[in-house]
Amino acid sequence: MNPLIFTTILMTVLLGTMIVMMSSHWLMIWIGFEMNLLAIIPILMKKYNPRTMEASTKYFLTQATASMLLMMAIIINLMHSGQWTITKVFNPTASIIMTSALAMKLGLTPFHFWVPEVTQGISLTSGLILLTWQKLAPMSILYQISPSINLNILLTMAVLSILVGGWGGLNQTQLRKIMAYSSIAHMGWMTAVLVYNPTLTMLNMLIYIMMTLTMFMLFIHSSSTTTLSLSHTWNKTPLTTTLILITLLSMGGLPPLSGFMPKWMIIQELTKNSSIILPTLMAIMALLNLYFYMRLTYSTSLTMFPSTNNMKMKWQFETKRITLLPPLIVMSSLLLPLTPMLSILD
Amino acid sequence: MMTYIVFILSVIFVVSFVGFSSKPSPIYGGLVLIVSGGVGCGIIMNFGGSFLGLMVFLIYLGGMLVVFGYTTAMATEQYPEVWVSNTTVMGVFLLGLLMEVMLVLYVLKSEEVGVVFKFSGVGDWAIYDTGDSGVFSEEIMGVAALYSYGAWVVIVTGWSLFVGVLVILEVTRGD
Repeated sequence: MNPLIFTTILMTVLLGTMIVMMSSHWLMIWIGFEMNLLAIIPILMKKYNPRTMEASTKYFLTQATASMLLMMAIIINLMHSGQWTITKVFNPTASIIMTSALAMKLGLTPFHFWVPEVTQGISLTSGLILLTWQKLAPMSILYQISPSINLNILLTMAVLSILVGGWGGLNQTQLRKIMAYSSIAHMGWMTAVLVYNPTLTMLNMLIYIMMTLTMFMLFIHSSSTTTLSLSHTWNKTPLTTTLILITLLSMGGLPPLSGFMPKWMIIQELTKNSSIILPTLMAIMALLNLYFYMRLTYSTSLTMFPSTNNMKMKWQFETKRITLLPPLIVMSSLLLPLTPMLSILD
Repeated sequence: MMTYIVFILSVIFVVSFVGFSSKPSPIYGGLVLIVSGGVGCGIIMNFGGSFLGLMVFLIYLGGMLVVFGYTTAMATEQYPEVWVSNTTVMGVFLLGLLMEVMLVLYVLKSEEVGVVFKFSGVGDWAIYDTGDSGVFSEEIMGVAALYSYGAWVVIVTGWSLFVGVLVILEVTRGD
């Protein structure tokens, strides 16, 4: 793509999310979502083959439907409250419709079916933008309407997302689908605590973005999109095998890595609000996630995966320069001792 | 009948939307869009927005729909699909029509309808003269406010339209 056009379109994606995050008028938020959606379509379609076109079409259809539902909820809110300001939503029907619309945008169950298919159809960099930046805008709206969200619906969607994210990722060998199911599960964790303490949602979002960014950067560095090609990294850059190990275990939520921090805080907050069964179930279902992360680390870092003899002497083009990889790796694994600093977020 | 003109126009509006969303060939969709645009203009004018109704006819029908019609005429097939030519299209159209008729009967018969918002019968749809707002017309002041206080909205929508064209050109350009 022409670099000038590509820069313009990328900046429009950023502008759309910024408009969503900083507007106080519901109509401007809707415009921001539409601008975001429109501008990310050519980014998803960077390569012109039928897979990317199909993935972009699926993404466009689901997100456009979600925007329509959002507009309907906005208008019902307008009818019952008479104003366009972003505060809590005043009508239960509008609140339920808006929660469903934002869940469709995030990829929560039962609206999660587009996430693996779209992520698989596009290139690794586009998948990175899709799974990290595109989650910021709907989450910011959920944060702002969190006092009025129906608890039952949101918690049902969250727990089902954690289950589907863990269960669905078990049979995958394609790395992009694994990351998609991991994203579904993490969105479930984030929305589970939204009604109780929205600050922890933002903390989880921050750490999730760092870890997903790190994983995608490592995949882009070794140009691998399947488990099999990831298992050849010991031949290309042996150091990244250790980094993949650390980051994947951090994503699985193991202490003493920083992925443990949001899970710990969320479970603590949920138990403070006298719900014991729910965090127990969530923690158990996170083990499913951990299983397929560990399978990846087993084939990548812990063993030399069986391959044909000519795979053991690979040559490659010049190493790609990956932006910010060392700081990202440090941040996605070593932040746990900083947990007492969370008190500044109040 | 004149008091319920907005209700009648809105029913025609919904029926024409059903007409093009049952997916006949785009040429016929454009035809039905003209009807819905005209009816929508009528609804807006009944609320006192004569300027906005004129905008609908001039810009929407006379600008955007004309371009759409030309491009569809260039890309159309030899035997375009009408509503009656395909069972599926016909079925969907009749289903939408049936649902609208049932909704209209429900509104007309019952005392109070509470779907998402409550309104009691057809009486709520009549337009009353809501009294004096002074010497100016409200909708012209709204348009003026868009270009003065709402400058940010103009910038954002203008940029969205521009990026929309960029995106469409980029997507259809191919390799």
